[in-house]
Amino acid sequence: MSLPEFDFHAPGTVDEACRMVAEYGDKAKIFAGGTDLMLDMRRKRISPEHVISIPQIEELKTIDQAPGLLKIGACVTVSRIVKSKEIGAKWGALCAGGKALGSCLVRNLATVGGNLASARPAADMPPPLMAYGASLVLKNTSGERVVSLDDFFKGTGVTVMTPDEILTEIRIPEPPAHSGAGYFNLGIRNACDINILNVASYIALDGPGGAVKSARIVMGCVAPTHVRALAAESLLIGEKPSEALFQSAGEAAMKAATPRGSAYSRASAEYKKDMVKELTVRTLTMAYREAMGLTA
Amino acid sequence: MSEYDVINTRAARVDASDKVRGRAVYVDDIKMPGMLYGALLQSPLAHGELLNIDTSAAERLPGVKSVVTYKEAGLVKYGVSPARYDETLFCHDKVRHVGDNIAAVAATDLDTALEAVSLIKVEYRELPAVFTVEEAMAEGAPALHAAYPRNITAEVHDEFGDVAAAFKKCDLIKTSSLVNKRQDAAFIEPQGCLASYDFSGNLTVYSSTQVPHYLQRIIAMVLGLPVGKVRVIKPYVGGGFGPKAGASHLELAACLLSMKTGKPVKMNFDRQQVFMHGRARHQFFHTMTTGVKKDGAIMALEHKCYLNGGAYSSFGIATVYYAGSLLGGPYKLPNMKYDGYRVFTNLPACGAQRGHGGVIARACWEQQLDMIAEELGMDPIELRLKNMMKAGDVTCNFLDMSSLGMKECVEAVRDRSGWKEKKGKLPPGKGIGMSCGFFVSGAGYPIYRSDTFHGTVIIKLTEDGGTALVYTASAEIGQGSDTTFAMIAAEAMGIPLECVRLESGDTDFGVDLGAYSSRQTLMTGLATKEAGEDIKRQVLEVLSEELHVPIEDMDIKKGFIVFRKEKPDFSALRTRYIKEHRGWTDNPGMDEELSFKEASRIAFLSRGSIVGKGKYKPPELGGTHKGAAVGTSPAYGCSAQVVELSVDEGTGKINIEKMTDAHDCGLAINRTSVEGQMNGSLSMGLGEALFEEVKFDDKGRVLNDDLAEYKITRALDMPAIEPIIIESKEPNGPFGAKEVGEGAIMPAIPAILNAVYDAIGVRIFELPMKPERVYMAIKEYRRKKEEALRSSEGKAPGGSAKK
Repeated sequence: MSLPEFDFHAPGTVDEACRMVAEYGDKAKIFAGGTDLMLDMRRKRISPEHVISIPQIEELKTIDQAPGLLKIGACVTVSRIVKSKEIGAKWGALCAGGKALGSCLVRNLATVGGNLASARPAADMPPPLMAYGASLVLKNTSGERVVSLDDFFKGTGVTVMTPDEILTEIRIPEPPAHSGAGYFNLGIRNACDINILNVASYIALDGPGGAVKSARIVMGCVAPTHVRALAAESLLIGEKPSEALFQSAGEAAMKAATPRGSAYSRASAEYKKDMVKELTVRTLTMAYREAMGLTA
Repeated sequence: MSEYDVINTRAARVDASDKVRGRAVYVDDIKMPGMLYGALLQSPLAHGELLNIDTSAAERLPGVKSVVTYKEAGLVKYGVSPARYDETLFCHDKVRHVGDNIAAVAATDLDTALEAVSLIKVEYRELPAVFTVEEAMAEGAPALHAAYPRNITAEVHDEFGDVAAAFKKCDLIKTSSLVNKRQDAAFIEPQGCLASYDFSGNLTVYSSTQVPHYLQRIIAMVLGLPVGKVRVIKPYVGGGFGPKAGASHLELAACLLSMKTGKPVKMNFDRQQVFMHGRARHQFFHTMTTGVKKDGAIMALEHKCYLNGGAYSSFGIATVYYAGSLLGGPYKLPNMKYDGYRVFTNLPACGAQRGHGGVIARACWEQQLDMIAEELGMDPIELRLKNMMKAGDVTCNFLDMSSLGMKECVEAVRDRSGWKEKKGKLPPGKGIGMSCGFFVSGAGYPIYRSDTFHGTVIIKLTEDGGTALVYTASAEIGQGSDTTFAMIAAEAMGIPLECVRLESGDTDFGVDLGAYSSRQTLMTGLATKEAGEDIKRQVLEVLSEELHVPIEDMDIKKGFIVFRKEKPDFSALRTRYIKEHRGWTDNPGMDEELSFKEASRIAFLSRGSIVGKGKYKPPELGGTHKGAAVGTSPAYGCSAQVVELSVDEGTGKINIEKMTDAHDCGLAINRTSVEGQMNGSLSMGLGEALFEEVKFDDKGRVLNDDLAEYKITRALDMPAIEPIIIESKEPNGPFGAKEVGEGAIMPAIPAILNAVYDAIGVRIFELPMKPERVYMAIKEYRRKKEEALRSSEGKAPGGSAKK
């Protein structure tokens, strides 16, 4: 199947790319890895007049681990994240999310920025990034703004980005001592799948064996965007971690989740709700084990 | 040590190097000067009356060379079985499914052809559509085809023995059901073709087909050409699995467009069109009742099945027979009753797919046999071995087990999997299950009624004597048949594999019914063997004349002449040979043995071209009841499998950990290829058991028409596999060989079903066993158990469903 006709642009710098998106606005689509975009174009779901490629821009491909903050360029490929020992050591759930994405070949092309900007509710990168409290740098010709990932998604395929903006960087704070995170994605098969449900959880403890100081639970596939399980999070705060506590957090997340399901969708609402509970408990347990230094 | 020099080894495939290096030519690689591109207009509606087709705007588009509809194509009916020819190249009165074919365009490039298709204006009157068996068979339901009341394509009512009487003598009678989902065969290469009609009136068609011969006949019939003017050539094919075993609208449209334009026309399905064309596994609704004695002896089977067939018959009439007849074995079953209904619905037609008709029936029954074994307190393997047929037995529906290594297969998987140490002893969430299966080695009769040979093979020696050229019209579709026949030819002639060059897949090479019903190894194999022996005989005849040695005192082995008695003086022959090859560097030394190459050069000098001929057709087989032809075969392959798996009870996700698989292929011509077919069957069975399901919306449109949402098994889903080859030496096969291509899929699904039960204590009666279905079954089981406990003891249970 052939692609619709379009003009292809390959700017050398972020500034140049910003000028292009400013000029073409919503007639343009940004090509970061192309693993979603090309499918949409081949299926003629979208027919942009301009495709602006950005993975050749060097400044978008850096991983910078400053004290207290990890900065990942938007065009860092998912396979680089998966393979990074530094990221794996402190942000293990992010690597887990990366490993769950597509196949090895897809991960070699797909970029972390693309996985966020395409705003698919089943995507693998948003839950761990939200759980770690990531924020995003959006640039245009007049400057940049920093948005919390919590506030980034507006609907399926829709974000707060304006047509003249480019996502350039993902900033992830370094998790404090005695914290941990876990990611679990549920699909039908073991590779190249589209998630039925995915959950990432993060908790920080008030010292070893202490109470939960902060918590973030992020669910995919239950709403048009990734959502936090706020009731479950607040239920954890100030409590000593236990199996029973995680079970009630799972219950709370399940009660708050309102997934849609039909005969035609990947799973029923009932199953998804039950899995919200199951995966919340599992990822909280993973997070707790990491916080206690119990994971390898 | 094998008694053979070439076969029964692990020879490298003759096409391996070209395929691995990208040199192998597939149909879409072929281009011709002046070639046009074709595209199809396909129905957006599931059921509608065609009121008007206006092609004028499409014809006016620059670059468009031809637009054809039923007006140009005519209304010759075709299909798979002449008993159910119900398709025309293009629809003329109504459309019967989304994707039904209305018109085709040829243009200078594909984009223009597609644009022209979008310019064709069709007026429809939408008709009510039926998508399920219940809807289609309901009183007053809209009929897809006027000739078939209640939308029944075909029904079968067979009884062998007396089931009702047998049930009266049974100690245990068990009923259960199983339903699968419509499959897509998901071959990697979508159908494609290139038709070229020349100015002498010859039509050459390159196609990714499994059946060049049937395609040739259907093209000739539909387009009104003599068979001799139609040549079908099959280049390398990227998988078929059944749906490519019949002529398609794509091929016929390309032929018609080429005839209209006088130019070559290329056409391809895209992946969406592969789904809309369908012709893969039906959806089956099986209900079975089996009666047994206390000691496990199987007495009778009562079986009812409904098939959701889609809009046309395709293979359906055979499918509905196979679904019943293949349960005749491999267990001794004296009484069997079968009622089958194949039903038209407004969906793409279903057809044949690996394990044609028998796969879901086998799964339903093998799960039921496990349920029976459990109630009788018998080990499932013990139950099966107790009832097992042996070589020479004939089933109640007249299938002759001329060889049957079934018991050996069962014992092999039992012992190699550690069944005795594991069965009943695994922790909750882990399970082990087994199953048997068997399948035909080729259908006993062609698809059209005929006394034709099922395969003819010609071998010609090159004039220098060094190479044997094998010509067969059989279809290499990725399964390795070219290698198999090159090996058989080499063995039969007594020469090394390297001295054989094989060409296949061309109707000019002879008749071969093609790659379906696991027929080629046995049938084309026998024809190849006969041709090879014919060559050997002719060469030895000439030698006998020249050397005055009786022919029975000579043989050819490993490329050299074997003199069984005294070695004659052949120096004169050698001198003659060398004189003809002055300056050549590979002439034999005077002290070497007499080579086949020398002998066959001498034979050429004496007789001209040395051509060996082989042919095969099965003897009269099977019973005389209606439909007896379906299920008969000169031989049956059989297999057994043990699956070990774990079930994540929290999510319902199944992880297959190990498959131990034994298959009796009679004799392995190429051991690596046999294992490849076994592994491929397991992969396909695993996908069907766990993932695969073609879904439709309420308008009959395929929802998951790509390989992202239609999920087949990928490498990471494949467990460790231990393939075990059993060789029972089939008397009706070439060197004892019989099928492996399809039979190996038979036990895969039921072995998984039985292992899942062993892991979670819950039976699943619907496929695929995706996590949600398994999880919900466990949840329902626990809810019921809890209710039962509450009413009896007032206590809540905990832990796994298994215990």
